[in-house]
Amino acid sequence: MLLELRGIRKRFGGIVALRNGSLTVLPGEVHALVGENGAGKSTLAKIVAGMISPDGGEVIWRGQLVRFERPADAAAQGIAMVHQESLLAPHLSVAENIFLGREPRLPLGWVQRQRLYEAARRLIEEHRFPLQPEWRVERLNPAGRQLVEICRAIQHGSSLLIFDEPTSALSEAETQEVFRIVRRLREQGMGVLYITHRLEELRAIGDRITVLRDGETVYSGLLAEITTDEIIRHMVGREVTTIYRRTPQTPGDELLRVEGLTRKPVLHSISFSLRAGEIVGLAGLVGAGRTELCRALFGVDRVDSGRVWLQGREVRIRHPRDALRLGLALIPEDRQRSGLAVRLPLAWNLTLASLPQVSRLGFLLADRERRLCEEYIQRLRIRAESPRQLAGRLSGGTQQKVVIAKWLLARARVFLFDEPTRGIDVGAKAEVFQLMDELAREGAALLMVSSELPELVQVADRILVMRQGRLTAELPHGASQEEVMRYATVDTQPALRDAATENAEGDGK
Amino acid sequence: MIQRLLPFLTLVTLFVALSIASPYFLTYTNLSSVVRQTAVINIMALGMTLIIIAGGIDLSVGAVLAFSGLLGTMAMEAGWSIPVGVLVGLLCGLFWGLTNGLLITQLKINPFIVTLGTLGIARGVTLIISNGLPVHRIPKEFSFLGEGNLLGVPFVLWVLVFCAALTHVILEHTRMGRYAFAIGSNPEAAYYTGIPVGFHTTAVYAYSGLLCGLAGMIEASRLMTGQPTAGQGYELQVIAAVVIGGGSLRGGEGSVIGTLVGAFIMGLLANGSDLLGISPYLQQAIIGGVIILAVAVDELRKRKLG
Repeated sequence: MLLELRGIRKRFGGIVALRNGSLTVLPGEVHALVGENGAGKSTLAKIVAGMISPDGGEVIWRGQLVRFERPADAAAQGIAMVHQESLLAPHLSVAENIFLGREPRLPLGWVQRQRLYEAARRLIEEHRFPLQPEWRVERLNPAGRQLVEICRAIQHGSSLLIFDEPTSALSEAETQEVFRIVRRLREQGMGVLYITHRLEELRAIGDRITVLRDGETVYSGLLAEITTDEIIRHMVGREVTTIYRRTPQTPGDELLRVEGLTRKPVLHSISFSLRAGEIVGLAGLVGAGRTELCRALFGVDRVDSGRVWLQGREVRIRHPRDALRLGLALIPEDRQRSGLAVRLPLAWNLTLASLPQVSRLGFLLADRERRLCEEYIQRLRIRAESPRQLAGRLSGGTQQKVVIAKWLLARARVFLFDEPTRGIDVGAKAEVFQLMDELAREGAALLMVSSELPELVQVADRILVMRQGRLTAELPHGASQEEVMRYATVDTQPALRDAATENAEGDGK
Repeated sequence: MIQRLLPFLTLVTLFVALSIASPYFLTYTNLSSVVRQTAVINIMALGMTLIIIAGGIDLSVGAVLAFSGLLGTMAMEAGWSIPVGVLVGLLCGLFWGLTNGLLITQLKINPFIVTLGTLGIARGVTLIISNGLPVHRIPKEFSFLGEGNLLGVPFVLWVLVFCAALTHVILEHTRMGRYAFAIGSNPEAAYYTGIPVGFHTTAVYAYSGLLCGLAGMIEASRLMTGQPTAGQGYELQVIAAVVIGGGSLRGGEGSVIGTLVGAFIMGLLANGSDLLGISPYLQQAIIGGVIILAVAVDELRKRKLG
């Protein structure tokens, strides 16, 4: 046995990332590690690679109990990680990147360029990588960079290689190239821990599989002995605690209609509509294009093609300013970065999108502004010492309410919520949902991006599912988490066509 | 709260200390000369306050001052009336402010770099136009702007009070001011809120440019010369005044009152050093130390709160 993990625990602040992570990796096997967003896959991998230390549990490497304090410790034992995001120096050559920090050196730090390039050439030829040591990394495509990362990882005889979602940025052909190399490494007796959320590609490469759910290993076994549906069931079998009970109502007029929205390579011909009084969920894994869809609709990113109607009128939104004017709101994923001015008072944040309403000829009407702030602070039950309190000092849930209130004041009618409950405690979550429910009742249309399947299933009237930049399904209220997860993870071309025809019929009514 | 008032308390302490230390300090002549000396820096610092609040910086203010002063006096030399000459100066300032703003927002170049560039360009063009020679043939009445008195106080004080009041109103009571705070505090959130970030950023630089044009005319009036080398190094004094007064180079923080206090602290330090016979070389070092001290105190305050 190469690696064994037993009962690994890890928490970040109040959030439990891993409660019982266990798995084993044998030499000469590709071990797949799967799970929902936030199930703890990356945390587990980083613990193996020595990037984080666990709070509890055992890491056993070649039969010995070990404790890695830093990545160098793991590297010294022959464990290497190929990262999700490239950590290469783009201006340096392939060879220089492979040996970055480990250059063959003479005394006084003199780098022996000749030896460096020879060593790189030997390594590349040994594995038959389509690379040249002299190439500059910035000119390589994502797959090429991945190969450089792999070279770097294996250059001094690693025996365990960890891949964290290596193919998420790669094309089909590039993916096949990476697979070919992974298979070769396996033949050479190397152990590979392979994190992915593309279930259909697992079969092409994996030997065994471990499923994580809520930071716990729930399944470990041979890939040949489990069906994809079973894998999905293990992934989503999270306990559903009731967060918010919502009674959907008959939707009203169509407020937003999107047809064929395309922004290559992240969005491909997205079509859907939102009606007044609806909360529509948008599910998908990290990288499926959900945030990109919101940004494109809101005018942050350019689109290649596609048409958008708001309240029955065809519109072109090229800038958030257009969105504001047309009554479209975006509650962004990262509140602190793009939602709030954290160093300004709460009251100023509230009225920021609606200053024309509280000013005349460019001059602010202090009384009107104060009244409006007080009204919304009460109405949304925003807990703050005073309207002058700095927004950054408010709790996460209160901050989210402030962002929502800002758009309410601006009289938005269509709301795009990107992960509205991220980083918010359970009590505040229910309040945010209640607020969203009230918005829907008052005739707004809401799109809610969420990685929390139990929340989506409870709150949304229907759920759109995205996978690799495409809408793969539209599921009614009451759809199970498994169903959603299947469309989010597995290539379902026939189902896609079904969903498309259903859509067309729905529109015809 | 005490720490927020610290610049003001420093100013008062400095004032009292100098009154005791030197018999010449608390005299009409001396105080009005302090006002005249600091007015130019003060007026430019008002514009800089807005820019720094909006998260920017303007290094070109000194060069723009010289450019405006030169062209304004050249207009008078060419026979135009004094008001027209002043107007020419103001328009020159406005032109450079707009140029800075448009380069920063349209080409999306860092303001430090843009204004470092326009600093060089404005100064170079000023020297080319004037051939390096100052303009002297100016109507005598023009000296009123910088040296005259109105109702017993220096006329520049009225100008300064007017500009300060105007800037204060813009900052605290208009949409433009509020947007400046929002853009400086978090440009991404401002953009996501649908604020016309580019327009308001440009407007802020344009307003600051206008004040630099005015400062240029005041400087020319005090010297009774269109001096192509005027205002060298002023940008640092102007930025220092804003920072001592509580402006933050991270944007989103600053006030008109603070900036006035900051500029007067520097003015009193210079004046006090002169009265007490401290070498001008040491003066520079003292002012440098005060800048670092002011920011350090401010940082400590924020760390305690944050």
